[in-house]
Amino acid sequence: MRASDKAKIRQRRIAHLLLVVFSFSLMFLGKFDLNALRSARMGLNDFVAPFVDLVSAPVRGIETMAQGIRTVASLRAENVRLQAENAMLKRWRRRAEILESENRQLRSVAGAVAPDSRRPLTARAVTAPGGAFAHTVLVANGSDQGIEMGNPVVTADGLVGLVVDVGATYARVLMISDINAQIPVILSSSAWPGVTVGNNGAFLSLRFLPEEAAPKVGELVLTSGHGGVLPAGVPVGRVDMVRDDFVRVRPAVDLRNLAYVSILVGGTEGINLGNLELEDYYTPLPESDETRLFEGVNASGERQ
Amino acid sequence: MTPRGRFFQRAEIESDWPFQFLVVFIGIVLAMFEGGLALWPSFYGATPMLSLIFLYWVALHHEKYVSLFSGFLIGITSDMLFSDLIGGRATAYIAVVFLMNLRRPKLLQGEFRDLWVEFSVVAFGVVLFQLLAFSALNLAVPALTPVAFQIGVTMILFPIGYVILVALNMAFSRIRTRS
Repeated sequence: MRASDKAKIRQRRIAHLLLVVFSFSLMFLGKFDLNALRSARMGLNDFVAPFVDLVSAPVRGIETMAQGIRTVASLRAENVRLQAENAMLKRWRRRAEILESENRQLRSVAGAVAPDSRRPLTARAVTAPGGAFAHTVLVANGSDQGIEMGNPVVTADGLVGLVVDVGATYARVLMISDINAQIPVILSSSAWPGVTVGNNGAFLSLRFLPEEAAPKVGELVLTSGHGGVLPAGVPVGRVDMVRDDFVRVRPAVDLRNLAYVSILVGGTEGINLGNLELEDYYTPLPESDETRLFEGVNASGERQ
Repeated sequence: MTPRGRFFQRAEIESDWPFQFLVVFIGIVLAMFEGGLALWPSFYGATPMLSLIFLYWVALHHEKYVSLFSGFLIGITSDMLFSDLIGGRATAYIAVVFLMNLRRPKLLQGEFRDLWVEFSVVAFGVVLFQLLAFSALNLAVPALTPVAFQIGVTMILFPIGYVILVALNMAFSRIRTRS
């Protein structure tokens, strides 16, 4: 073997070694949440997302077709179900009107301030979580449309997640099922505070509940609005299982079927979103078990 | 018999760069398509690793068209688009290409069953590496059901993907021979 060939092989080996070291160190750099890496990622996403959209068009087409077939097949059953649901909704509407009136009166007594107005912005979900290591989605709207980091993302059913990265035309949403998502919540019937934590699976776990809290299966879990980033009262899910200290919550939104979402823009005036780190804006609520964070009337009308 | 053709034909085919570029391009498109598959509720949170099937096949049958850098590029694109663990899949794919360079001669002599078993080990290794790195960096273990589902579906789809790739390769070779 000639000397030049040996030198070439050595150079190649060094290049390969450097590549492995670089690739491996990227995992740690990514965890440090460096601005440069984040910008590079969103820049790439802005560039690549239209292609991802294009490549996944056939999948979307097939899914739409399958949905159409399923819809036709279940039309009759759906009609019966909708009629029953309509009757129930009418009853609920009357009940809601009564409660709304009662709520208005209570607010005037307590001097409560109405939540800040937030502008809903509809965006199409370009991707869905494809791996077990991140539950994020790319949505086709970005800073050009006024989206900022920390903006809540919802559907008609409830909370989907929060915007964590914003590019010019695309934004990345951290879903409530992600392992890094910790949402301050309250139980609807008792108003006990807690935090839902994702595990990159289908369910969330409800943690940091005070000892005296007794969550019931089927109970609604709502955002507490603590910290001001998320509006209060957005459904996060329902208690699905209670076993000793473990409380499992099924998300209110079917996260597997996200086609369009609403991003709530604005309403975070006074909160420095630029300085928010992932760990900071999901701060757990209770500082001690004795401290009651929410005073007033709970959803059942009982004084607490 | 000496192959006949245009005067510059050999020089054009001599370079591996266009094919290496093509391999990276197809790998990236497949990585994007994986993300698209997640739109199907059945594959929510655990799509089959089509890019891994492709990378494995190319590393096995056309080793000169795939380098460690190709594996890195395909993996990093997938990481940037869909994963929280940037560099996780990229490092794993580099390891796959490296491993295939070592195992290739033995695997080519074996039966398809051996290839399948080896691929299953590779798929398991790729996911396990990401799982370990993710757990170490986040100090939390993600739900394991989607992880197992992802490995299982990838293993099941391997023979289908393999046959499709072989068929496409044959068709492509035929076109090249004719032209």
